[in-house]
Amino acid sequence: MDTRWKKCKVVCSFLVFLAGVTMLAVNLVPAVGIYLALGGEVLDGQQVDYQESREFRNLISGRLSDLLSVATGGKTAIFSDGYGYYSMEESGYRDWLDRKLNEVTVTQEAVTEQADDYQQVLEDVQRHRQEEYEAYLAEYGIAAKEEEPDWYVDSGAGYGYGYDTEWTLNDYMADMAHNKNIRYAVVYQDKLLYTNIEAYEGQMQTTWDKTDFYSALSSEEYNFSLWYNRQGDGKVQIVKDGQEVDVYGDGIYGDDSQWYVPGYANFTLGDSAKDAVVFIAAAKEPQLYLVGDYAGYGVDEYGGSLYYMKLQRTALYQAFQQIGSCLIASVILLALAALLHKSKRLAEQKIAAVSGKIFLELKIFIFLFGLFLLAGKSADVLSEAFWKISNGFSSQFCWSGDITYEVSRMLKAGGYLAAFYWLIYLAVLDWKGNRKAQKKPLISLLRTKDFKYPIQKRLVRRQRIALLIEIAILFMAGTAASVMCLLHETASVYVEYEAWEWAYSGEYGGCFGFDRVVVVIAVVALAVLLAFMMIDICTLRRNRRLAEDIGALADQIRAVREGNLTTDLQLSEDTDLQEAAQNLNEIQKGMEAALREQVKSERMKVDLVTNVSHDIKTPLTSIVSYVELLRQEQDLPEHVKEFIQILGEKSERLRNIVQDVFEVSKATAGQLPMKMEILDMGKLLRQTLADMNGQIVQSSFTMKVVIPETPVPVLADGQRLYRVFQNLLQNALYYSLEGSRIFLTLTEEGGLVIVRMKNTSSVELTDSKDFTERFVRGDESRTDGGSGLGLSIAKSFTQACGGDLTVETDADLFTVTVSFRKAEAVPSVEEESREA
Amino acid sequence: MEACVLVVDDDREIVRAIALLLEKEGYRVLRAYDGMEALRVLGEQSVQLIIMDVMMPRLDGLSAMMKIRERKNLPIIVLSAKTEDTDKILGLSMGADDYVAKPFHPQELAARVKSQLRRYTMLGGIHAQHEADEIVNGRLCYRIQERTLYVDGEPVRLTATETKIMELLMRNRGRIFPAEEIYERVWEEPSFAPENTVMVHIRHIREKIELNPKEPEYVKVVWGIGYKMEKM
Repeated sequence: MDTRWKKCKVVCSFLVFLAGVTMLAVNLVPAVGIYLALGGEVLDGQQVDYQESREFRNLISGRLSDLLSVATGGKTAIFSDGYGYYSMEESGYRDWLDRKLNEVTVTQEAVTEQADDYQQVLEDVQRHRQEEYEAYLAEYGIAAKEEEPDWYVDSGAGYGYGYDTEWTLNDYMADMAHNKNIRYAVVYQDKLLYTNIEAYEGQMQTTWDKTDFYSALSSEEYNFSLWYNRQGDGKVQIVKDGQEVDVYGDGIYGDDSQWYVPGYANFTLGDSAKDAVVFIAAAKEPQLYLVGDYAGYGVDEYGGSLYYMKLQRTALYQAFQQIGSCLIASVILLALAALLHKSKRLAEQKIAAVSGKIFLELKIFIFLFGLFLLAGKSADVLSEAFWKISNGFSSQFCWSGDITYEVSRMLKAGGYLAAFYWLIYLAVLDWKGNRKAQKKPLISLLRTKDFKYPIQKRLVRRQRIALLIEIAILFMAGTAASVMCLLHETASVYVEYEAWEWAYSGEYGGCFGFDRVVVVIAVVALAVLLAFMMIDICTLRRNRRLAEDIGALADQIRAVREGNLTTDLQLSEDTDLQEAAQNLNEIQKGMEAALREQVKSERMKVDLVTNVSHDIKTPLTSIVSYVELLRQEQDLPEHVKEFIQILGEKSERLRNIVQDVFEVSKATAGQLPMKMEILDMGKLLRQTLADMNGQIVQSSFTMKVVIPETPVPVLADGQRLYRVFQNLLQNALYYSLEGSRIFLTLTEEGGLVIVRMKNTSSVELTDSKDFTERFVRGDESRTDGGSGLGLSIAKSFTQACGGDLTVETDADLFTVTVSFRKAEAVPSVEEESREA
Repeated sequence: MEACVLVVDDDREIVRAIALLLEKEGYRVLRAYDGMEALRVLGEQSVQLIIMDVMMPRLDGLSAMMKIRERKNLPIIVLSAKTEDTDKILGLSMGADDYVAKPFHPQELAARVKSQLRRYTMLGGIHAQHEADEIVNGRLCYRIQERTLYVDGEPVRLTATETKIMELLMRNRGRIFPAEEIYERVWEEPSFAPENTVMVHIRHIREKIELNPKEPEYVKVVWGIGYKMEKM
């Protein structure tokens, strides 16, 4: 349960971190963008006032200048609709002419200030244009149109050209009339020229009685009003929600000035405008005004500029709210992740462990590919986002004007940012986690697979791989070259065309020549590569023989190691490895000779021991026999009987020594005949103890025996093993301290059967002594009793049975350990006796 | 009638020692110092048993034994300093009745001579018929009706438990009995670490039936497995 919760915590912490970072990255870009667009007031949490935007101010000031132009009689002007889209890219002769004429910049102010001069200039310009236009038509043989084109000049509001559609004053005024979002009145020389306020529509073209136009409007409906020149001071007065707005600030127009209207110290109007008074009111809640003109274009839409402005700003604000709440949520998530940072680190380690199993090249490929793909996909979106953020994001500048689309693009940019973050995060995680134990690359996989093959195949294989790679490169180079040639061909055709176009002749041959050079280079390169490949194939063929010889040599070395010393390695005369092979053969012969010598000397040793012991036995027989005869003599003095007794004991001991020497030398030479069978070590020990029970009972020692009841099977020669334990026990009984205990335990330790016998020595033990050496005794001065071969026999017999015997001494504690590999099972007695 | 034993060895001291030993036991002893001489003596005198060394000049023991076996069926005890099993097997398979390794214990040799002679004179050559209710194994003979074990034709005094063990082993010659099984079948109760008890009885039996109890020929330990009666 606990571990499950821990696991859950680890996963959760990482998910929280993932969600937090992703949300933060995705929402940060649009949040910054919208904040810049809406300004600081978005943070107040109030509904956005569309009238507080630059778009609105621009539109109103544009309207003002339009109406001023209307008032002062600029009838040929085309009017801004407040959005001021540039349409410079429109193709055609007319634009070209326009661009040429741009040298003469015509502004509203100029028109109003220097009306006469300017009119002259304007007329000149127009005439010039007309002439050029006619010339253009004449050149192409097009008959001049009946109607004169309506030339337009800049409205002066600073927004450049208006729509492509040519607006007349009447169109403009009609539009204004339908648009109830903006109420206006234009007075010139005390005469009310135009208005769309219903209460004054009847008084048009009559003298204005200086009444406040605003009083005819509901102040709830229209919370914004603007007067120009009401006091005759040429200044603009704006009242919003009953409060007067500070229009001019410090009175000097500059970049930071909000209202682009006349009345600044450095922005005055000409005399003609002094007689004009303009009133503009804007609706608090703009709406669309639709007029069905089914004779014309269907339904006309009016008042859209303010309505959509408001709509967009509201939408933008709502988007900001959502994004803002997402940001807050992401910050909370990140804080949570920071609290769970320990679990998160565990999760990161897990991820690193998983990524550590992926091959390095694959990871690098995935990383680079991901980076490349992301960069390609996100370049335009991100650069747009960054441009917007650095240059001010304004809904006014949105081409489509669709704010949700813009926000979605910003979100997309944020998404790409998040994707970048995660890609780099994973890369860093992997780098940090697996820096030391990086999964070795695919090439190493190839290499490890390589070792499965014998050496000759390995060599040939490697060369073959190299050749294949070469062929692949050749193929790729060929393909690339042909593709390049093809491209170049196309390019040269184009160049040829161009050449024909512009220079008519001469270039053709040159182009062809260049092409030919490329082809020749390609062919030569291919030929050289082919030649290399042929050389490679030849060397491969030759090296294959060498590889085969090396393989044979390696096989031979293995054969020698496995003990085959008789077969010589035969390589053909002309091979590179001839000498190495001969040397190996000689080493082999030397080893064989040495081995034969060793076997011979071993046999001689055993023969010698056999002969010597045999030769000792014959005189020994006589000694034993005559001692026995002496013993049977009756009338001997006591001391003679005692001598005879000693003779008897010594001859008996001599007999034992001879027998032991003989056996131990045979056992160490590995010539002891063995009858290996599976037997129960526990039973063997009990039998041995029972066999020697008499001796044990007679002695002063106590046996402490621990033998498990369950069978402990080992593979050994029972008779020999009995001798081993008999010797060990006799040893213990002989050399132990009077009255001490002898411990015998049988245990199984990891596939090994271990018999341990411990006893306390009666004499001091010397550490450095190897008690299993022949004729070594614990007590050098002792000469009676055993042959000094007991442990030696025990050890050699144990080894002959496939086990091991070690002796350890710790102070006076003498420990003998006999270990055997555990056998499969004990065969049933019935089976055994049937065989017997 | 005194039995006549021929002792053959190239080592005169050994021959003399054996001769002295056997004469004390009451046998008539003839001596020979190589195979040829042995054959000659055999041709001249009536001999009941031969003790012969293997390695001798002129004619070695094994060759001499083969020649003797062509004509005579008397027991031959081979003496040899070669103590390996292969040498023993070779000797026995070439016609020897017993094999005694040098250096031997004189009393053991005497016991073997006695045993061989008794079997030759009383059982082997003379009356070879077997009764149905007896189990014969080499020197041993167990008469089921009498519940008595005979060694070399002479009854041996065994305790009740020893007799039971011997009956079990004689009935199943060659079969190996774990100590537990012997205990359960003889004492007729479950066993717990029976090795010691069984071993004590087996030791006693050996002392009564074996020529050399330290190197038993009949009741043997199969180390790590159990006990068995060797099938002769």
